Amino acid sequence: MENQTFYYDNKIVRNFAYATLLWGVVGMVVGLLLALQFIWPSLSFGIPYTTFGRIRPIHTNAVIFAFVGNGMFTGIYYSLQRLCKARMFNDLLSKINFWGWQFIIVCAALTFVFGITTGKEYAELEWPVDILVAVIWIVFGWNMIGTIIKRRTSHIYVAIWFYIATFVTIAVLHVTNSLAIPVGLFKSYPIYAGVQDALVQWWYGHNAVAFFLTTPFLGLMYYFLPKAANRPIFSYKLSIVHFWALIFLYIWAGPHHLLYSALPGWAQSLGVVFSVMLIAPSWGGMVNGLLTLRGAWDRVREDPVLKFMVVAVTAYGMSTFEGPMMSTKTVNAISHFTDWTVGHAHIGALGWNGFLTFAVLYYLIPRIFQTQLYSKKVANLHFWIATLGIIFYAVPLYWGAITQASMWKEFTADGMLKYPNFLETVTQLQPMYAARAIGGALYIVGIVLGIYNLVLTIKGGNFLAEEAASAPALVKAGGKRGSGEGIHRWLERRPVQFTVVALVAILIGGLIEIVPLYLIKTNIPTIASVKPYTPLELQGRDIYVREGCYTCHSQQVRPFRSETERYGEYAKAGEYVYDHPFQWGSKRNGPDLSREGVVSGRQYKPNSWHYNHMLNPQLLNEQSIMPVYKWLISDDLDLSTTAKKIRVMQFLGVPYPAGYDKIANDDLMIQARAIADDLKSQGIQVEPTKEIIAMIAYLQRLGKDVHAAGNPTASITGK
Amino acid sequence: MKMNENNTVEKDELTGDKLLAGHDYDNIRELDNNLPKWWVWLFIITVVWGVAYVIVYDVLKAAPYQQEEWKNEMAAAGTVTPGQPAAVTDTTLLALTDQASLDAGKDIWLKQCKVCHLEGGQGLVGPNLTDDFSIHGCKYYNVVNIIVVGAPEKGMISWKAQLTDDQIKKVSSYVMTLKGTTPPNPKAPQGDPCK
Repeated sequence: MENQTFYYDNKIVRNFAYATLLWGVVGMVVGLLLALQFIWPSLSFGIPYTTFGRIRPIHTNAVIFAFVGNGMFTGIYYSLQRLCKARMFNDLLSKINFWGWQFIIVCAALTFVFGITTGKEYAELEWPVDILVAVIWIVFGWNMIGTIIKRRTSHIYVAIWFYIATFVTIAVLHVTNSLAIPVGLFKSYPIYAGVQDALVQWWYGHNAVAFFLTTPFLGLMYYFLPKAANRPIFSYKLSIVHFWALIFLYIWAGPHHLLYSALPGWAQSLGVVFSVMLIAPSWGGMVNGLLTLRGAWDRVREDPVLKFMVVAVTAYGMSTFEGPMMSTKTVNAISHFTDWTVGHAHIGALGWNGFLTFAVLYYLIPRIFQTQLYSKKVANLHFWIATLGIIFYAVPLYWGAITQASMWKEFTADGMLKYPNFLETVTQLQPMYAARAIGGALYIVGIVLGIYNLVLTIKGGNFLAEEAASAPALVKAGGKRGSGEGIHRWLERRPVQFTVVALVAILIGGLIEIVPLYLIKTNIPTIASVKPYTPLELQGRDIYVREGCYTCHSQQVRPFRSETERYGEYAKAGEYVYDHPFQWGSKRNGPDLSREGVVSGRQYKPNSWHYNHMLNPQLLNEQSIMPVYKWLISDDLDLSTTAKKIRVMQFLGVPYPAGYDKIANDDLMIQARAIADDLKSQGIQVEPTKEIIAMIAYLQRLGKDVHAAGNPTASITGK
Repeated sequence: MKMNENNTVEKDELTGDKLLAGHDYDNIRELDNNLPKWWVWLFIITVVWGVAYVIVYDVLKAAPYQQEEWKNEMAAAGTVTPGQPAAVTDTTLLALTDQASLDAGKDIWLKQCKVCHLEGGQGLVGPNLTDDFSIHGCKYYNVVNIIVVGAPEKGMISWKAQLTDDQIKKVSSYVMTLKGTTPPNPKAPQGDPCK
C-alpha cells in the first residue's frame, strides 16, 4: 500500500493552547478575589459587578469551560489528528470551534458581570448564549467525527472512545438542562420547576464534572501518558471494561448532590448506590495510567511532564474515592453545604485538570515549536509550588468544613443550639479562609512560572504550522465481524455504531431517573397552601437570581434536628412547585433563607432589618462577610417586564388567573406601597418602585406557605 | 509498524508482558494484561452493596427514609417547644447585678441582640434601649417578658427556643445597664416615657 502524505494542523492546537493559558489566569485570579472576599468583604468594592454572587459564576465557568475547556480542545486537536493519521476534517470548522468558543467565554463573562444569569449552577448562561454553546459544540463534534471517519487507521483508540462519549453526553446534558422559555433577550424561565429542576440541574451538574472534566481528560491521559513515558498501555481489557462501566454508571449519580433534600427517597437511593459503584470504574483509569508507568518510574523523577501526570492521576484517584464517600448519607450529612464540597472540587480542578493540562502543554508546545522546553528547573519549581498550593488550599477547607458542620450540629445540655447565630460558625473559619487564599495564590504563582517557561520555549522555537506525516490509506474492511474478531474490536472500527452505543448507554440512566419524576404526580405531594408568587415577589425573586444569592444561601432545610431547630420546618417537595428556577443552593456561606418570612420563626427579621442589612451588613454585624447591596435601594424596579413574566409563568403552568398579566402591576404597586409604608413607620424613606422593595417582598414570602399548611409531621415541636 | 507478522508473540521488554498484535496507535501499544483481581473484586463488592442498599431501602423499606430518621432524632432528643410561651408577669423579678452574670449577658447581647439594637443599644431596626422610653415597659420583668414572648409583628422574635431562662435573665439584666448610657447615633425615642 502506497503511503499518503498529509499535514497535521498545529496552528489550531497552538491557538487553543494560548487560550488555555489566558483563561486559566483570568479564571484563577477571579477565584483568588473570591477567596479574599471571605476575609475582606469590602473587596466587592460596593458595586454590583464585583460582588461574590456575580463573579463566582465567572470563576467557575472560566475555570471549567474556558481553562479546562480550551485545554481539552488543545489536547484533542493534537492527539485526534495523530491517532487518526489524518488532518482535522475541516479547517473552517476548526476555526469556528476556536473563535466561537472564545466568543462564548467573553459573552459569559460580560453577561454574568451584568447579572444576566439563569441561576442554575455551572449552567448560568442565558438562552442566546446557550444556543451558541450548542451550535459550537455541534461544530466540534462534526469536525471530530468527520476526522474519525476519514482516518487512515483501522481502529479507533481508547482515547477517542472517551472523546466520543464526551461529545454526545455534553450535547444531551446541555440541551436538556437549558430548556427554557424566554421572557426577553436576557431573561428566561426554565421549563422545569422545584424538585424537577433540581434533579435535571444536578443530573447536568454532576455529569458536567463527569463528561467535561473527567472523560475528555481520561482520553488525554490515554494519549499523552504513554507517549510521554514511551510505554505501552497496561491493559486493553481494563480500558474496555472501565470505559463502558464509567459512562453507563456516571449518568445515574446526579442525585447525590441532593441527599437529605426534598428529592424523593428512591431517587436519593439511586444517587447513593451509583456513586459507590463508580469507585472501581473511575479507578480503572488511574490504575491503567499508573501501571502504564511500570518500568519508567525512574524517568518520572526526571521528566516534569510525567511528574505532572502522576500527581494529576493520583488527584483523580483521590477525588473519585472521596466523591462516592461524600455520596453516602452518613458523610453527606456532615459535608453538604460546607467547604468540604469546595475542597473536593478543587482537588479535581487544580490537581487532575490543572496538572494534566500543564503536562499536555509541556509535552506538545516544545514539539510543535520544534525545540526543547526552555527550563526543566522552572517546570520543577512550578510543579512543587503548585503541589504545595493544592495542599494549602484543600487541607484548611477540610478542617474548616468539619469545624463548621460540628458547630451547626452542636447542642447544649439544655437542648438548645450551641451556636444559634450562623455568623459565629463563619467567623470561626477565618484563619482557614486565609490559608486557602494563600494556597490559591501559590497555585497562581505556579501558573505564572509555567507561562514564563512556555513563552521562552516558544520564543526559542520555530513554529511548525503544517506538520508533514504519512500513512497508507485505510483499506475498507467489511461491515461484518471477521472470524475471530471480538464484538468490541469490531465496534472499534465502526465509529458511527460506537457513537450510537455510547449514546444509548448514557441515555438509559438519565431517562430512568428524570422521566418518572416528571410523569408521576405522587413523587411531588402537593401542599394546598402553596400559592404562586405575587408579581412583586416574582420580580424580587428575579433580583435574587440576578445577584446570585444562591451562591451563598441555601433554600433547603434538611431533616435534621439541628436544622429544624435553627431554621424551622424541613423542606418539602411540594413547596417548590412554582420555583422556576429552583434556588436550593449548594453551599452555605450564610444561613439558609427558606424560612426567612415565617413571622413566628427563628429566622424572621422585619422589613427595616432587611433594608439596613442590604445597605450595610457590617453595620449590623461587623464580622459579617455579606457584600453591600446599596444599588437595590437606588435602582428602580423594571415594571415593563411584569406582564410578560406572568404570561410565561402561565405558559409553564403556574395558575395565575386568565388576564392577570394586565393587572399584575396594580397588585404589585399595592404590595410595594404597603412595604414602603412599613419602612416609613420605621423612619426609612424609600419609594415603593425601588428594587429593594421587591427583594424584601420575596424574602418575606419565603417559607410562609409551608408554615401556613401546619403540616404536623413537620412542626418544630417534636411531638 | 511492529506488526506480529509471523504469528510470534511480541513481548514488552521491560515487563515481559504480552503486547497485543495490531494495537498500534501513533506508536502507542497496548498490553494484553488481565484486569487486576483486586480491582474486579472492588467492582463486584460495590455493585453487590448497591443492589443490597436498594433492596433494603426501597424494596423492603427496611431502613428509614429521611422523614422517619428526623422523627426518631427528635424523639430521642425529647425536644418539646411550646407553641406560645406564657407571658412573664412576676413584677417582683429582680435584675442580676453580679459582674459574672452581666458579662454573660453581654456575650449573649453581642451575639443575638446587637444585630437589631446595635452594639451600644442605641437602636436601629429595634428601638433605642438607652433612653427613658419603652414600647413594652421599662421594668426588668417587662424586658424578660418581651424576650420570652417576642413581638413578631414588630420584628422581635421570641427567644425562648434559643435561650435558656437563665440566659434570658442575664441578657435582660445587661439590657437594664444600658439605660442612661450615651452611645453614638441614638434612635429617636419610641413608645411611652418611663415613669
